[in-house]
Amino acid sequence: MVTMLLEAQHLNFSYRPGHTVLHDVSLKLGKGEILYILGRNGGGKTTLLACLAGLLPPGQGKIFLESIPLEDYPPSIRSQKIGLIPQMHTPVFAYTVREMVMMGRAPHLHWLETPSSLDQDIVDESLEQAGLYELQGRAYTEISGGERQLVLIARGLAQKCQILLMDEPTAHLDLSNQQRVLEIVQQLSRQGLSFVISSHAPNDALTYADQVLLLSEGWVTDYGRPENMLTEPLLSSVYGIQTEVIYQQENGTRTPKAVVPRRPTEISPDSLNDSNSFLGEIFEKGKEAPQIVIVTGLSGVGKTSWCARLAQLAEENALQVKGILSPGVYEHGRKRAIQAKNLVNGETHVMATLRKEASTGLSTPRWQFIPETLDWANTILGDIDQADLLVIDELGPLELLRDQGLTAGAALVNKGGYRVACVVVRSSLVPKALQRWPGAIVVSGEARNAGPSCT
Amino acid sequence: MSSQPFAHFSKPRTGLKKGTIVGLLMLLPVILFSISVTLGRYEIGMLDVFKVLLSPLFPELDGDIPEVARQLILRVRLPRILGALLIGASLGGTGTSFQAIFKNPLVDSNILGVTSGAGFGAALALLLMRSGWQVQVFAFLFGLLAVFIAFFGSKLYRSSPLLVLTLMGILVGSLFSSLTSLLKYVADPLDTLPAITFWLLGSLTALTWDKLLILGGITLAGLLFLFAIRWRMNILSLGDAEAKSLGIDPARMKLLIILISTMMTAAAVSVSGVIGWVGLVIPHAGRILVGPDHKYLLPVSACLGASFLMLIDDIARTLLPGEIPLGVLTGLVGVPILILLLRRSQSEW
Repeated sequence: MVTMLLEAQHLNFSYRPGHTVLHDVSLKLGKGEILYILGRNGGGKTTLLACLAGLLPPGQGKIFLESIPLEDYPPSIRSQKIGLIPQMHTPVFAYTVREMVMMGRAPHLHWLETPSSLDQDIVDESLEQAGLYELQGRAYTEISGGERQLVLIARGLAQKCQILLMDEPTAHLDLSNQQRVLEIVQQLSRQGLSFVISSHAPNDALTYADQVLLLSEGWVTDYGRPENMLTEPLLSSVYGIQTEVIYQQENGTRTPKAVVPRRPTEISPDSLNDSNSFLGEIFEKGKEAPQIVIVTGLSGVGKTSWCARLAQLAEENALQVKGILSPGVYEHGRKRAIQAKNLVNGETHVMATLRKEASTGLSTPRWQFIPETLDWANTILGDIDQADLLVIDELGPLELLRDQGLTAGAALVNKGGYRVACVVVRSSLVPKALQRWPGAIVVSGEARNAGPSCT
Repeated sequence: MSSQPFAHFSKPRTGLKKGTIVGLLMLLPVILFSISVTLGRYEIGMLDVFKVLLSPLFPELDGDIPEVARQLILRVRLPRILGALLIGASLGGTGTSFQAIFKNPLVDSNILGVTSGAGFGAALALLLMRSGWQVQVFAFLFGLLAVFIAFFGSKLYRSSPLLVLTLMGILVGSLFSSLTSLLKYVADPLDTLPAITFWLLGSLTALTWDKLLILGGITLAGLLFLFAIRWRMNILSLGDAEAKSLGIDPARMKLLIILISTMMTAAAVSVSGVIGWVGLVIPHAGRILVGPDHKYLLPVSACLGASFLMLIDDIARTLLPGEIPLGVLTGLVGVPILILLLRRSQSEW
């Protein structure tokens, strides 16, 4: 049973009213534990560290340090227990390594005091422990990024704190420096020092963390042992990308070793004819549970053509195809309008035109939508209750960010009742779509895979 | 990592060598003081100077010194040189402190407008009352007022207080400079205008013992405070978040430093007129000599500032038959010295 050093209960934090950065975050940290906080940029990791360090008072919730509320500690006593290592930055003045480490003694000194020979001894010890003794006379601004992180760790050691909060300690470091820093973290944790580390490196979490907290837009997605947290669906929902976890088989147990991002699968719709192909397998799996395929790519690469070709081949294979396709209307090589085509009977209406100035109603910066067509398309999608292949072209910012536009399409994907749903999503919105449907498969809808153009 | 973590204690610590340099720099003002008292159009040897200085304790030393020399040392040279020493130390010390808390090596204690405010106050007093003690009092009070406006004006904005504070200081400084120009425009061109202009150029001619007493009191008390908290300036220069995580209340500490430094600068400027440049450049010279650790840098900057201003004042009163304004000389002498120092050290800030 580990002693709980630090405990956060239901933390909420907002910098200004209405913009909550942390929602109901709870965590526990024991002596000698390493807790990794993973999440996307702007996900609230740095704010969480600042709250845990006592620099930002949480709006709601409580933080306990050794079972005593954090706000009850006077600042100097609190900083004798918790140290913060901020994201890498260069101080204006070129202090030496020794002078930087010495600053860790501040919480132990009266505000009119300067360091004594006892403090000098503690700094010597801390420098030695972090392997920096030989560097002590060098300017902090002139040493490598890895060495700077070690200097700040040594400062934490001189601070004699029990918990070190580190904000992205391995960002900007080369592989060898990353390992050098994290190995020292690991060794210090075995000596009883606890760490909370915010990071963009899930692989480091697999190697070094005792616990992982997944933070997504300020919400805790999940919290637990690294091998349970670093799974494909959880990582998809946190980072909005497809990942692959690589496992190692050892003595009959399977342990995750690495997480790698997975690119959108490049596959031609024509491969549907081959039942052993990737697409064939998806349709097979779709018999048991609905499968979602996100067709993506930059604007104009041929996503609609890709879906049209798939729909055509599916029909040839006697599969029931339903949904909406949105081919563009081109004039002198420029897209002037977007149509909506009912895949069941081929009925087509203009759904959006290039936006004029001072548009009213439903619009994106580029397109002005026609409400009647959207209503028509939503009615068609709303009436679908069963299909082998469902095509929804496309779910854009209206649907994924504002819950407008083809709302019935997004609802239908959630509802199921199909074997395979092909959803067209532009590249920039794939993270949003994957956060909504973490199990989805992302394929590249580039025209070179699509065979003859169908628009 | 070494298996014997304590085996290195016999190694010399980096602080020691620096300590020797600091010790030598501390002697510099004493040497310059001794030389300065002997300098002037009326020649007085160093031995005679010491006899005069020690005569209150040993009356028998006083016998063979001419009364003119005695009066010259005690009533003219001594207050003036002590004034240069105090003002130089004050500008060097406050410049260093401001550079630390603003995390910016390009500021000095005038960044919040104290000098411009004092200049305006002095000009106003000269315009309304011609001369007298009011000039010093007005300069001091308007110096404080300028910083007060800048500091509390910056509180109107919530974000990025340091940047807003700097901006407010620059704005308030410009405002008072414009107001001073307005006063010069309406001043009598034969009488008041030259008085304002010479005051603004800076001079220690008019220093008397009673002015020196106030200046000395404020300067020494302020320097003592800055000296006491000098090591914490290192931590303040890392930024608020790190300072807080190291148990320091940066807002309170900065407010104290700004308050004390402004009092010191206002007191200095109110007796000497505008002497720019010392607070900006002396800390750089100090960093080149002893590094950025404020534990050493603050006393060194104060000593260098004191020595520098005594030297400048020596030149001002001996080089030409007439006096050269101090504000002119600080730049003319100081800039080449700093360029030389920077070139030789190839140093960072």
